[in-house]
Amino acid sequence: MADVVLAVAASHAPGLAGLYAGAPEDTKAEVDKMYGTMAAEIAAAELDVLIVIGNDHLANSRVLEYPDFLVGLAPEHVGPFEWFKPWLNCRDYRLRGNPEVGGAIINGMARRGIKFFGRRENLRFDDNLSIPTVLCDLDRNDVPVVPILQNCTVPPIPDQRRCYAVGEALGSIIRHDLPDGMRVGLFGSGGLSHEPGGKRYFFIDREFDDWFLGLLEHGDHDKLLDEVTPERAEQSGEGGTAELFAWFVVLGAIGPQPCTRLGYTAYDNFKCGVGAVRWEMGARTANGAV
Amino acid sequence: MGLDAFNHSLVTHDLVQDLKWDAELRARFGTDRAAVLDRYALLAAEREAIEAGDFRTLYDMGLHPYLGGQLARLMYGNAAGPDATRAVNRLIASLTGTERPDDRTTT
Repeated sequence: MADVVLAVAASHAPGLAGLYAGAPEDTKAEVDKMYGTMAAEIAAAELDVLIVIGNDHLANSRVLEYPDFLVGLAPEHVGPFEWFKPWLNCRDYRLRGNPEVGGAIINGMARRGIKFFGRRENLRFDDNLSIPTVLCDLDRNDVPVVPILQNCTVPPIPDQRRCYAVGEALGSIIRHDLPDGMRVGLFGSGGLSHEPGGKRYFFIDREFDDWFLGLLEHGDHDKLLDEVTPERAEQSGEGGTAELFAWFVVLGAIGPQPCTRLGYTAYDNFKCGVGAVRWEMGARTANGAV
Repeated sequence: MGLDAFNHSLVTHDLVQDLKWDAELRARFGTDRAAVLDRYALLAAEREAIEAGDFRTLYDMGLHPYLGGQLARLMYGNAAGPDATRAVNRLIASLTGTERPDDRTTT
């Protein structure tokens, strides 16, 4: 039985790298606090593998053949993909992969009736993996990574309930299919409110972001599943805010656990609400869940 | 506009994907746009809209907004900072039908 020993989720706005230098000082301080906290905790967690559930922004598959979940099976993940480099303006990186864990996830999902796709060659990584990597020093700390890229924007997308159910299956795979004693981390990468490519490109819905982060802290998963719908997400940013359904995969995998908001900032030029949370793994919630 | 009109089979989607993935094609797009567009079975109105930078028409035809944003960067600049900001503002200007300065960084 493997264990989830760390679970976090955060935004991956490309501006966090490329536009950081020009951001206001209070924004930079908030970014440093959020990602610095996650970096330190990931480094201290002695992970055997970090599963990053991120969004695929139409970077790896054609619209006509778009998978809902795509696992990176490469032995090494290299990024960012060439075209995204000027836009991200972050360092190049190499991450150790774990094809065995990736394969176990695909097979485990299949046994549980869920179709996952995999790719052995290096995926084209944009901000989805690049921002967590460079801001949390995954490369410098040699954290082995398995990326799961999910469809967040090609209709019909897997909604909050589907993502939560997939997360429950992922939790079962971790507990029952991965090797005993393996220390697993989960990182939900995406959101918060934003509208990439839309007429409200610079819009950030601070009220929505605060409401969503508050729901996470409150920890009522039924309420999250009832209220954080694709329709509600679209109101706060067409084609972008739904990225936060990656966080629902983490929620489903870990079940109710105490959640702490690590920070939040809304800087127009980032074109995205930026927030992060951490769940207290192994802590006991008010209803007794572990 | 937006995902309401999204058309899975719009050929422009393939064009944008190929331009992102193929540096040689992208270079050709910069020097001889017509030759690149000739390779794709674009509708006449679709091609005219690309040539004119008319994103509103492309979105009405079903272009995915995320790929619309990337097409704007392919046409107007992809580097973080002034380049990409110009692309974003020209995209918004086309979608909303209002003038915007290239360096604006707010709604």
